[in-house]
Amino acid sequence: MKQPEHDQHPAKRPNRRTVLKGAVSAAALGSTGGLGVLSEHALAQDNLRARILQLPGVGKGAPTDADWQKVGELCLGPTKANVKEGEFKGVELSFMGLNNQNLHNLLFRGFLRPWEAYTGAKISWIDLAQADYNPRLQQAIATGTVDFDVLEMGAPFEGDVCGKGLASEMPEWVKKQIDIDDYVDYLKPPVGTWNGKTYRVTIDGDCHNFNYRTDYFSDPTLAKAWKDAGNDGEWGVPKTWQQVQIVTKFLKGKKIKGQNAFGYLDAPKPWGGFGFYFLGSRATAYAKHPNDKAWLFDVDTMKPRINNPAWVRAIQDVIDALPSEPADQLNADPNTTGFQQFLAGIGSMIPWWGDIGQVAKASDTSVIGDLVGFDILPGSDDVYNAKTGKWEKLTDGPNHAPNCAYLGWGIYVMARVAGDERRHKAAWSAAAHLGGKDLSLWTVVYPSGFQVHRTSHSNIDEWVAAGYDKKYITSYLNSQFGSYNHPNRAVEPRIPGIFQYYSIAEDELTKIFAGQYDAQTGANNIATAWEKLTDQIGRDKQIALYKASLGV
Amino acid sequence: MAIFTSASQPVRRHHAASRATRTLSRLLIYGALLFWAFVCLFPIYWTVTTSFKSALDVTQGHLIPWLDFQPDWKGWRSIGLSPDSILGTSTARAELVSRFENSIITSLGASVLALVLGSLAAYGLSRFRYKFGWMRNDDILFFFMSQLILPPVVLALPFLVLYKALALLDTRFGLILLYTLTVLPIVIWIMRDQFNSIPVELDEAAFVDGLSIWGAFIRIVLPLAVPGMVAAFILSLVLCWNEYFFAALLTSTDAKTLPVMVASQTGSQGINWWSMAALSTAAIAPLVIVGILLERYIVSGLTTGAGK
Amino acid sequence: MQNSSPVADDRHHKLAPQRVLVSRKNAGRALVVLASAGFLLVLLIQILHSIGATTAGYTDWRPVLYAYLVWAIAFGIGQVMVRGERGQRALFLFPAVLFTVAVVIFPTLFGIYIASLDWNLSSFEGPHFNGLNNLIGLFHDDYYWNALRNMIFYTLAVLGEYAIAFGLALLLNAEIRARRMFRVVFLLPLMLSPVAVSWMIGKSLMEYRFGPAATLARDLGWDNPAFFAFPWVARLSIEAMDAWVSIPFIMIMLLAGLQAMPKEVLEAAKVDGASGWQSFWHVTFPLMLPVSVTVLIIRIIFKLKLADIVINVTAGGPGGATDTVSSFIYRVYRDRSNVGYGTALAMFYLLMIIAFLTVLLRLSKRWTQKVA
Repeated sequence: MKQPEHDQHPAKRPNRRTVLKGAVSAAALGSTGGLGVLSEHALAQDNLRARILQLPGVGKGAPTDADWQKVGELCLGPTKANVKEGEFKGVELSFMGLNNQNLHNLLFRGFLRPWEAYTGAKISWIDLAQADYNPRLQQAIATGTVDFDVLEMGAPFEGDVCGKGLASEMPEWVKKQIDIDDYVDYLKPPVGTWNGKTYRVTIDGDCHNFNYRTDYFSDPTLAKAWKDAGNDGEWGVPKTWQQVQIVTKFLKGKKIKGQNAFGYLDAPKPWGGFGFYFLGSRATAYAKHPNDKAWLFDVDTMKPRINNPAWVRAIQDVIDALPSEPADQLNADPNTTGFQQFLAGIGSMIPWWGDIGQVAKASDTSVIGDLVGFDILPGSDDVYNAKTGKWEKLTDGPNHAPNCAYLGWGIYVMARVAGDERRHKAAWSAAAHLGGKDLSLWTVVYPSGFQVHRTSHSNIDEWVAAGYDKKYITSYLNSQFGSYNHPNRAVEPRIPGIFQYYSIAEDELTKIFAGQYDAQTGANNIATAWEKLTDQIGRDKQIALYKASLGV
Repeated sequence: MAIFTSASQPVRRHHAASRATRTLSRLLIYGALLFWAFVCLFPIYWTVTTSFKSALDVTQGHLIPWLDFQPDWKGWRSIGLSPDSILGTSTARAELVSRFENSIITSLGASVLALVLGSLAAYGLSRFRYKFGWMRNDDILFFFMSQLILPPVVLALPFLVLYKALALLDTRFGLILLYTLTVLPIVIWIMRDQFNSIPVELDEAAFVDGLSIWGAFIRIVLPLAVPGMVAAFILSLVLCWNEYFFAALLTSTDAKTLPVMVASQTGSQGINWWSMAALSTAAIAPLVIVGILLERYIVSGLTTGAGK
Repeated sequence: MQNSSPVADDRHHKLAPQRVLVSRKNAGRALVVLASAGFLLVLLIQILHSIGATTAGYTDWRPVLYAYLVWAIAFGIGQVMVRGERGQRALFLFPAVLFTVAVVIFPTLFGIYIASLDWNLSSFEGPHFNGLNNLIGLFHDDYYWNALRNMIFYTLAVLGEYAIAFGLALLLNAEIRARRMFRVVFLLPLMLSPVAVSWMIGKSLMEYRFGPAATLARDLGWDNPAFFAFPWVARLSIEAMDAWVSIPFIMIMLLAGLQAMPKEVLEAAKVDGASGWQSFWHVTFPLMLPVSVTVLIIRIIFKLKLADIVINVTAGGPGGATDTVSSFIYRVYRDRSNVGYGTALAMFYLLMIIAFLTVLLRLSKRWTQKVA
């Protein structure tokens, strides 16, 4: 499916500056000659990166199928180095992935078409809606109906797939081809590995950052009102959750540009498990102590921490903030808060994955293009120490703990190709092509559903050359890399059935937010249900895997 | 007819007063009709116009093309059906076409199969008394109806296992079998009503003429039941056409149907309102055409059945 | 299943005494025995093959399907040969019965088996037998009972749908212009898929900020038209969407009933001087009872499966106010991969529905017979 033209193009309307930039790059291209095989030479490499970032080119509309194919074509170099032309003739592979929003699989189709033409392999596609993804995968595993060779999958499912021996270990040549050492730290092992074996070609990095409206926090009227209300400190972007709460309550009933002003936006409606991440983002600063890697369960017993004072405080924060949020907030899931509220100009603060920044300036839905700023998630003045059972104030200021939620998408090859050497190589070649270093630059710059995940993505000049505003993209990349590289980042446990825990929690949380239970009772209910689930899945194994996923 | 026309009867009423009542009642009737027509049409109008809107027009709730917003082929372009993209190659359109084909084949196939099996069973249940162990006609009918009750989700694993064993996964034939099962009860129910309404004397006359049971059924009774069959057929078609759950579960590449594609327009990054609206419009279009063409058969078909 | 015309005795043909030749009978029996033996043989080979006892066999079970088909045909022919006209009669019912049994028997048995397991798809040990624990757990599951309570509301709401549909059917049955156009228009909502209804109506048309429905509600004086944020409003909103899709179905059935009603009865009522209301209440409504009962029961069965709209629009919220049994089972089964418990929930639900329907059918039979 073609990417609709208007949609999510990071490049804004052409202006003099961007057009000039385009001209410069075009001139640079002219000197390197045609489209042929590119040498591995560093200069050519840089040219290639500059060149794909001009596809479709600034101000020339959103990428289409043709652009994806061109990018795929241009990035075939590493594949050509490892695979002879026509080597996989007659090989048929089946690829299962998401059909979200005209992203994911639709891009892969375009990227892989030139790969198919070169190698001679043929790929058939299984497209799934996001809601069907998890059940389809689980049921395929349980009934032995795994009918795909290559799989697009999120790290949280690694426990279910790699833990059951269904995935194929990554060959050494693939690691070299994709330059696996380029991944940002938090995506390096143990993420992507299982029992010491590497399985995943990472194509995405995920963590929650903090998105806010710059116009709100520089508005003189609001600043005056803030002073008049007798608040401490200057009017500005909240740095801690305590401040977020105060600002949110303060903004209720205020106006900005003639519209109702709102502060933080919570997402209380269940979202197939994904909604729990948003409570997580509120909780990590309270619950993730710098001296303790664990924050969701006790590491030795899998005893849930969801009902400890830190998490209960986060839940209570939501309860306290909801009356100051829009009236229909109870039925808002993260999709609503992100795309129908924040990007549409409602509310001033949300946590989200990097998508918001990627599309804020480009999407037609967005009316706030230049008014978004980014930061890592707010911290907390005090942090709960689960070992001592006490709240502590850290000497070096507020405790920050970015929520590395979901850990991004990756490409996995299934073990069922192992029997046939050619299929095995073909499947891995396809995965390596999609996870290629240069190709990944294109996917994180243009709308794709994927965010930065390599150190080499941090070169701001490349982004600016592609058409991003320097200040904007610096703020964005700092929030992303600042979260990934934060020493106290809260990394999601990759234990089997993790989404089952989230789903149960969402169900209980909606009752709490609807006022049926208080925060502590509700949290206790979640803890009880989680204990039951842990027993059902197998406590000892869960403990071992939890430890492995935390690297302790 | 019952309530409204009789209100206008000049029984023990003054003539002028009755005319006033009559006018009033006409007014009420047409008022109610127009109101409900609006209720039925507005969401469909909203869907169709949304396929021509940009995101901004959606989120600002614009209603009337050209007045409120400038219509654009956006939604249709995304599925390769706009004037400027219809001649070019489009992977989206190719996808849509193949899914359309699968949807048409599976829903037609299942509806026809259900109609054949269902009509036979319904005729049997209408004309003869059966006894299988403790089961009599009503019990047999209840057995069929009970197939309607179970939420399909719990059959997911069993059907996956069964279809894997039978090599029916990702085949149109597999979907047809399953859809037939789900619509068969409704067909049997409508057709039994239909046959009950056809006087049994007709069958007997046919026997006198020397026809066998099957001869009488095929040559005399069946032609009279055509309207009911059309009604049952349309209802089956609608149900099969919109089936989502099993289509998402049991197909992967070759037998994918349309509803799965509509659902895919939602995801983790907002909603492509325009594509979804365009797809929804494209998906109901065939049903609407069938509805307009065959609507009178539904009513007349059920008329003979329900009223007896 | 209740029906507008319960099978009356005179409707059944009398069996004409007919002699079936003994030799033909025997040939028929032989055919059935032969076919059954063949079918069992194929089945046996395949079972042995799949448990690894023999190497002979097929890669999948498809041949068993064909063998079943052949057996079914032979069985049908055999029936006619052995039982003559009785067999011919049975032949009407056999295809549907054999088809249903074939498609359903394995999933049902397997389903009952799963319902007795403690089986979480993520579990390491795989499924293990759990006895009645799933059943016991179900009685302590607040979500399940909450959903059941909601189902009572949704089921009762069918009466409201019925009333509206009856009104519409009466309107369409009155002497009006453009009747055909109205009929087509009124039928249209039936065609929309639940997915499309959830998104285009629930999440767009009824959206708090830009949805035309919310705008209208504001114009009508409701300051805060959040359709899915308060329990009762949310429940009613979900019900309204479901009603919008399904009223055409009820309406068209009732309209058919109305059109088939003998006109003389109404004429007679008029002559007697009955008012519009009286003639509806004493004549039309009772005459429509049989078809009403049928359509209501079908509608209730569909209503009890209500899930898609709830899942997409509210996910059961706020606080479980709109949750249905089916949508809860979806969450347990799909989102949480807890297939053993999920299946047990559904099986118990099935039993409850069957009990409920049986009672309903008994009662309705009494009513319809009283008026008839």
